[in-house]
Amino acid sequence: MVTDNHEKDQVQDNLDQSSEKKTNPQELDRSRRRFLKFGIAGAGAALAAAGGITIVKRMEGIPHDGFPLPIRDDFKRIDQRNQINVFANSKALNDKHPERNRSFNAQLQKENPQGFKPFHFYETRQTFMAGSYRDAPGYSQLERALAVAGFSSARQQLGGGSMEAPNSGVSSWKQEMLAKNQYQFNAPKEAALAIKSAARLFGALRCGITKRDERWDYDPIYDASVEREFSWEKDFPFEPKTVIVIMAEMDYHTMAAAPSWMQDGTVGDAYANAIKIAGQLTIFLRQLGYQTVASMNDLGINAPYAIAAGLGEGARNGQVITPKYGPRVRISKVYTDFDLVEYDKARTFGVASFCLNCKRCANSCPSKAITLGDPSWEPTYSTDPDYIWHASRGVLKFHNDAKKCAKFWIDNDGSCGNCICSCPYNKPDFWHHRLVDAQNVIAPGPVHAFMREMDIFFGYGKVSDPDRVKKFWKLGKSV
Amino acid sequence: MMDFTWYLLGVLTGGVAYVLYLISRKITLNWLSWSGLIAGSSLVLFSIAWAVGSVLEGVPRAASMGILLFGLSGVVILTLVGRLLALKKGGG
Repeated sequence: MVTDNHEKDQVQDNLDQSSEKKTNPQELDRSRRRFLKFGIAGAGAALAAAGGITIVKRMEGIPHDGFPLPIRDDFKRIDQRNQINVFANSKALNDKHPERNRSFNAQLQKENPQGFKPFHFYETRQTFMAGSYRDAPGYSQLERALAVAGFSSARQQLGGGSMEAPNSGVSSWKQEMLAKNQYQFNAPKEAALAIKSAARLFGALRCGITKRDERWDYDPIYDASVEREFSWEKDFPFEPKTVIVIMAEMDYHTMAAAPSWMQDGTVGDAYANAIKIAGQLTIFLRQLGYQTVASMNDLGINAPYAIAAGLGEGARNGQVITPKYGPRVRISKVYTDFDLVEYDKARTFGVASFCLNCKRCANSCPSKAITLGDPSWEPTYSTDPDYIWHASRGVLKFHNDAKKCAKFWIDNDGSCGNCICSCPYNKPDFWHHRLVDAQNVIAPGPVHAFMREMDIFFGYGKVSDPDRVKKFWKLGKSV
Repeated sequence: MMDFTWYLLGVLTGGVAYVLYLISRKITLNWLSWSGLIAGSSLVLFSIAWAVGSVLEGVPRAASMGILLFGLSGVVILTLVGRLLALKKGGG
């Protein structure tokens, strides 16, 4: 009985103490503070997680149902005869349009009356990549050999033709090795995955699949080597329904030697890889019973097709900027009649906003062909029809004077690559660049201008750097 | 090489965390000191990773700029926190 009473007292004491604790205002305050701290920490963690997810989503690109650039109703398809390289390779077109050379010469004379030398697209082009060696880093016999060797495989694959020539070599329109039975995929998604898996095996850096869009196809198609035009309806072997877009990487260290002849080594090599992959994909699909044609720079414009296939975004320098690699890629395509496939959506990664503020490519362009202005519907560098004959009109984009670019190539006796080399998106695949990319997709415009300055400050994107030429010739140590 | 750098940074991060723990046992740290110590150490570790990455990709100037910008900022923050803690200890 005594024990029972004692226990009861003990329980009562504990209850009293507990009640005192509960009502102690200091303890209550401490507890509230602790709760507040945990609340703030939790909210901070949730905010950081939400921010991280948003950044990851933005880096993957915002998907669009249609083409992400505004297009006017009066947009007209490009005639392949108006493509700069096709025009420059064609004697017949130069003879037919003397006003084009005249108008360009007048502009060149206006801009540089003292140093003006007459220029002719076809005649001057005949000596391209065949001039004498120079006493300057990147312009010796060694770099010329690298450039010619780099292009040799692409030329061989394309039957000796130019990158713009249709129906030649690997890009032949003959439907050889076409299986009689058509393989049936279980679902469009499975078909897309199979095509992309094959592309990966053959060496594609990236691969996207989009619907054939006539707006981006040349009309008519033109082959300067035989001075003949071709019709999609009468001459092309089938009605294309799908376009598979392939990207091949150009080497960062070789491109860093721009605009010397050295960078042509990687340009040519990437062309060779791009057309090789397109050729192999062509046979892959033909063996599944579907008609295909591989295409390099012929048949259609690569940039809008790559944008539509979700591989990148159109940039100030007129090229496609793809995540991780920037503009340091070459693009090839496969046209096919196979359409039971899941199409990719166009995606935007914040490149347009960055390009608005950066302008580094325009500043490093030796011929000032790249605009420093904002996107426009029409070319802003001229309104003379004899001068802007090659320009696409009716798309809100950066309009560049491709003739000046082509002239620099001929003057340089090799291509250029400054706009690729100087682009802040052109980086090797290292973790810290992905961190900067993550920052760029969420940052507002003024931050982009700051990031451009930081890119210069950190030593990236320097052009005409003789050290890069020397450095390239030591890279063989790692092989 | 980058893989080894990540391993090394993991060891260094562990070491830094242990040192911070030892400091916190000796001196009572308020939120400002904690923030300064964590931010300063993170910046120094970040600058090491940045510098190694930049050297490996062949842009040594980016490595030196990274050390200057991130590493130096980290050292400045750590120095300030150290001075703050020394003052507190001396005053207390």
